[in-house]
Amino acid sequence: MITILMLIIQVILVLLIAPFVTGLIRWFKARLQGRQGASPLLMYFALLTTLKKEHVISASRSWMFRFVPFMVLGVAVFLALSLPLVFSDGGIAHVDLFVLAGVLALSSVFLVFGGLDAATAFGGMGASREMTLAALIEPAVLTTFAAFATVAGSASVQSLFGQGMTALTHPALLLSFSALILITLAENARYPVDNPATHLELTMVHEAMVLEYSGPYLAMLEYASSIKLTVFLLVLGNLVWIKPEMYLDAPTIGLGVLGVLVSVCVGSFVLALLESSMAKMRFFRMQEYMSIAFFLALSGLILILVV
Amino acid sequence: MTYEQIQPLLPPRVSVHVDEVRCQVEASAFAPLVEKLSKEAGLPVSLVYATDDRVQENTFGVHAVLSLDEESRWLVISTSVEESNAQYPSLTASVMAAHWYERYLQDMFGITPEGHPDPRRLVHHENIPEGTHPLRKDFAWDTKLDHAQIPYPMHHVEGEGIYEIPVGPIHAGIIEPGHFRFNVAGERIITLEGKLFFTHKGVEKLLEGKTPEEALPFIERLSGDMAASHALAFCQAVEKISGTKVPERAQALRVAFCELERLTMHIHDLANIAGMGTGYTLMAANGFRVKERLVRLSQSLLGNRFWRGAIVPGGVTRNWTMDECAHVKAVATEAVKEIQDLVAMAMQSDGLRERLETSGVLTHEAAVAYGAVGLPARASGVMRDVRLVHPYAIYAELPWKFVCATQGDVYARYRCRVDELAVSLDVLLAALDLYPETDVTTPIDLKDGVGIGAVESWRGEVLTVVHLKDGKIERCMPRDPSFCNWALFGELGPGNIVPDFPLCNKSLNLSYSGTDM
Repeated sequence: MITILMLIIQVILVLLIAPFVTGLIRWFKARLQGRQGASPLLMYFALLTTLKKEHVISASRSWMFRFVPFMVLGVAVFLALSLPLVFSDGGIAHVDLFVLAGVLALSSVFLVFGGLDAATAFGGMGASREMTLAALIEPAVLTTFAAFATVAGSASVQSLFGQGMTALTHPALLLSFSALILITLAENARYPVDNPATHLELTMVHEAMVLEYSGPYLAMLEYASSIKLTVFLLVLGNLVWIKPEMYLDAPTIGLGVLGVLVSVCVGSFVLALLESSMAKMRFFRMQEYMSIAFFLALSGLILILVV
Repeated sequence: MTYEQIQPLLPPRVSVHVDEVRCQVEASAFAPLVEKLSKEAGLPVSLVYATDDRVQENTFGVHAVLSLDEESRWLVISTSVEESNAQYPSLTASVMAAHWYERYLQDMFGITPEGHPDPRRLVHHENIPEGTHPLRKDFAWDTKLDHAQIPYPMHHVEGEGIYEIPVGPIHAGIIEPGHFRFNVAGERIITLEGKLFFTHKGVEKLLEGKTPEEALPFIERLSGDMAASHALAFCQAVEKISGTKVPERAQALRVAFCELERLTMHIHDLANIAGMGTGYTLMAANGFRVKERLVRLSQSLLGNRFWRGAIVPGGVTRNWTMDECAHVKAVATEAVKEIQDLVAMAMQSDGLRERLETSGVLTHEAAVAYGAVGLPARASGVMRDVRLVHPYAIYAELPWKFVCATQGDVYARYRCRVDELAVSLDVLLAALDLYPETDVTTPIDLKDGVGIGAVESWRGEVLTVVHLKDGKIERCMPRDPSFCNWALFGELGPGNIVPDFPLCNKSLNLSYSGTDM
């Protein structure tokens, strides 16, 4: 009973703050670049406005085009549910690292379907880039998860990212943690892999795939991106400080919520700082970036197995 | 090459006016002569244009303007073709730089350059009916055209894994319309071609029959970011025809306006290339803020944000007070210092340098062959600058320095802009102190004739040819540097990857409007 209650608290909290996180990153970026910046709450209004607009959908689309937003949003909500985000033993117990990696890939694949179904040059271009990146990042994702699983002695995501696990639990986990940061940037289409704020169709990856979406579908996809980013920031936060075990009283819940807010604020600031101080990487240098992520993860895993 | 050396190639009868040498040849001798002058004597072909002389001589005129850089003279080779047989052997077959000019006059005048390697339409899109030649004198400017469907084929590559990306004419962001067609293998660009001329304004047609004063506002609005340069080139052409001597102070202020325009746009480009082109947004946010200072300076001095309305035939509208000069100096110095600090910081970023270096290389051979002008040409080692080869205003008295590079990549163009920014500020500061007490305007006694005005704008060489008759403009071709440089994309694009194209594009920063007169 308490598990279900805590799960509800977690999912509501994450879904509620997700647009704020995206807005907050934009606001931090604006301030860091010397601009005034729009309110961090703007994203809520932007989503509501998009939600109210009508669809413009070409007649030549298949059912897949309409299905994709539901799938992608579904995966995002699943992530918000299954991982231990507010309490260290929250989330769904039976989800293990392979399910997690699979679900992440599922979301990418369906986004790609959405991009291809439009049969436009940009959709196809974005889809081909996304698949290239997904193929390059996949080994790093699995290796990183494997390193955490080895230390935790269990494949369940609760023991991987919760239950007292931090990046310092095993010294070699620092390497895996660094790999996880690189994965977070790549999975969420952030710098230096992709530019979330670009208006240039020719350089887009994630944005190119969703270029044909409008109205509520676009709102769903954007909301899904926000949720996914929030979840990743919370997971990274989990590995830096320990969250309380779930217990149904005000101080514990308060502590959990506070932990979430601190995680997203610090995470957003670091992300904004990163995005304000570097240029986007040339697309043909991506394999170097992904190799760094993979070798960080691999070194972490080897050290854990050897030491 | 000096004039003495090329004189044997020219026909015996030539006419000379100030720095222009003109001669008339038969249509069949036109291409061979220009080819000889271009290939053997190495004179760059700066402009090819046509005139409709059917009223006086019952023929169309075709004129090639070559630059005799060494002696700062222009050489104009003209020929005439009959309306019944409006064709001549094409120059482009041997002189690449003429390729767009000849397609242009084919559309606008219905004169066929025979043997042109690429005789497709240029200005006219699918919807313009056959036989529409707007610059002929018997074509009324307000003619309503029927809607035609004539193919406008673009380069197309076939093969396994090759696909086409059509981009534009409507773009994301607030830029002008232009269509680009990429043929791509994976991410690698194989061919790249542009289709422009979506917003033809008919400026050349509208200029005809107007006095220079009436024409000036049209010239200034050709391309919003180089109003001062276009106005100066036009005024210089008119003044040359009339033999007007512009007072020194006016010339100093003209230099000041052009340099302020150069500062404004170089700051814009430095911010735009590093900021928007690579995603180093810090540079864009701050660079555009710095640019805004100069734009507001224009607003406070001239009442508009485009350095427009100051240069007029015979001088400039008014002299600046000492206070205004001091203000301009202070704002410009501050803005340049600020952008230099920003650039110094941006250049510390390896990621940014890595994006700029080796992207969009324009080889020296291509730059020369295509007749590239301005900063892109100089970044590829072309040693031409109008201020060097055809000095105007009072650049000779100012601490002006030639800026160039040899690598020809985006980084070279970026460095050239950085270097030119410093030179430009020095020139501006010195120009404001020159001859403070003299007049700034002189009356013009309009005469009939033809004149060429050339100005090195921030974008490159502006060349304006004016034909005056009875105090009115008979024909005027204000050639924007973009017209020469647009075709360069076909050269510097292939080999790069698609996501780097916006960066290459921004490093040239060409005008759609200026090309699309």
